[in-house]
Amino acid sequence: MLMEIKKELKFMLLNVKYNLAREMTNKITFLTNIIFMILNNASFIVEWIIFYSLKNNIGGYNFKDIILLWAIASGTYAICYIFFGAIQDLPKLIMDGKIDSFLVQPKNVLISILSSKTKVSALGDLIYGYVLIFIYGINIKNIILFTLFIITGGIVIASIAVIFSSLAFYITKADTITSSITSTMLNFDTYPDGIFKGIIKILFYTILPIGFSSYIPLHIIKSFNIVNFLIVIGYTILVVLIAFYIFYRGLKRYSSGNLMSARI
Amino acid sequence: MNVIEVKNLCKTFKVKEKEKGFIGSIKSLIKPKYKKIEAVKDISFDVEKGQIIAFIGPNGAGKSTTIKMLTGILYNDSGTINVMGINPNKKRKKLAYEIGCVFGQKEQLWTHLTPYDNFKFFGSIYDLENSVIEKKIKEFKEIFELDEFINTPVRNLSLGQRIRCEIVASLIHDPKILFLDEPTIGLDPIVKENIRTLIKRMNKEYKTTIFLTSHDVGDIEKLCKRVIIVNKGEIVLDDSMENLKYHYLNKKIIELKMKEKVNLDDSKGITILKDKGYNLKLEVDTKKTSISDALKLIDANNIIDINISNVPLEDIIKSIYKGEK
Repeated sequence: MLMEIKKELKFMLLNVKYNLAREMTNKITFLTNIIFMILNNASFIVEWIIFYSLKNNIGGYNFKDIILLWAIASGTYAICYIFFGAIQDLPKLIMDGKIDSFLVQPKNVLISILSSKTKVSALGDLIYGYVLIFIYGINIKNIILFTLFIITGGIVIASIAVIFSSLAFYITKADTITSSITSTMLNFDTYPDGIFKGIIKILFYTILPIGFSSYIPLHIIKSFNIVNFLIVIGYTILVVLIAFYIFYRGLKRYSSGNLMSARI
Repeated sequence: MNVIEVKNLCKTFKVKEKEKGFIGSIKSLIKPKYKKIEAVKDISFDVEKGQIIAFIGPNGAGKSTTIKMLTGILYNDSGTINVMGINPNKKRKKLAYEIGCVFGQKEQLWTHLTPYDNFKFFGSIYDLENSVIEKKIKEFKEIFELDEFINTPVRNLSLGQRIRCEIVASLIHDPKILFLDEPTIGLDPIVKENIRTLIKRMNKEYKTTIFLTSHDVGDIEKLCKRVIIVNKGEIVLDDSMENLKYHYLNKKIIELKMKEKVNLDDSKGITILKDKGYNLKLEVDTKKTSISDALKLIDANNIIDINISNVPLEDIIKSIYKGEK
């Protein structure tokens, strides 16, 4: 079992290596994608600087907490789109019957599909995340916890997207649902959780689990709590298992297509 | 030894049906209607190790669906499949190490990478050591004559070059069975011939079993010793190429060049295909009339030239598709 996991991880890294090699064939596009993503993220921090010049505390967060929240959010999405970059294409690939070439490979289908693409701009997110964590406060504990949580967060977001994408095995146009869910998660998880109340807060710990990908990790980095730490790790494992289960259940209904296609 | 065993295989697809127009769309939204399409109906066959088998049929006959079930892409509804002793539904990954697939209409290669990088990537997928991959690439580079373009991105290759690379990528792990789904589609006659020679060589040198689907009669005629014809999800013929060519329809074509004009009409077992006065083309059904009886109708002294040939394979296949005997 462990050997199998090791092989799949090795394959995933190999996929990312080749994805980057492909993207680097166009040097200018490669670099501008990264730089513009960093600039795009930085523009939002400017907004928060303005907010905090008017008010010292927003939803229980000071400006340093916002820096940490943005670091986690950027890092989480970076990990998701570097290692599982094809997640946004998954519903369409299922609907159009275009996962044949992954099914004849001796590797896990879901990992093969997800890691078959890397979003270059996500490298900008990753650099930005680490820059922010340096600004927040650089020490070994912060770096280790930050790295661990952006990995668990990236996996949680990808798993949720897989669960919703798997609807494509049953219904058409499931791509709209998946993109709505992932963009809603992205919109919310750059705001302090203290400003959300009631049903929205419940959503953050259920179908839009940014509580597990961003908020709890933020509180752990601020003040380590073993129970919360285990909750994040346990939830990540659980959501991964659910994603695999639902995807493979749906795969039995997969109907391949005969459209001409190419891998680009 | 059988490398493929298929028994009573069935596959049905559920397809949504919509009435025409906007009203139809609304009705379909409220109460969707589905129809069942039986793509594969109770088919059974075996394939022996080292065979080159043609699995052919008209569009929508169930060929691709069958290949996809054999390779683990689709799940079957009922029946059993055994490929190299493996059930594709249960051990898809294990099976993938034993088989190679080339889908003529679907690229497996990454178009932005060179064939060399693609081969390295595919080798790693099959957990091959770097030295083994290099050795394989060197070997195939010679056999498939890839030297000229092995470092050119796939997107810049011609279709023939690309198909050669697709085949190499699918052979990198030494598969025991190679599934080729229309490998020569869109290729010119010279490249087609080249690909066929390579497939034959591979079968001879590596004893690879080849399972081929194609609409190109040349592929079937020049490569395969056995033909399975499917139509409407059922096997309508499973025979050797020899039997199919020479015995299935028992029809011969006689072409004659005459000194003088002959007046000949259709008679029992003889059909006039072409009559241009001095040139005649007859089809003789040898079940009804023998060739010698047919020739007795013509004055031998009047014949300048004669050619007796079999009905073209394409015509035989066409008539089988149409259900003629």
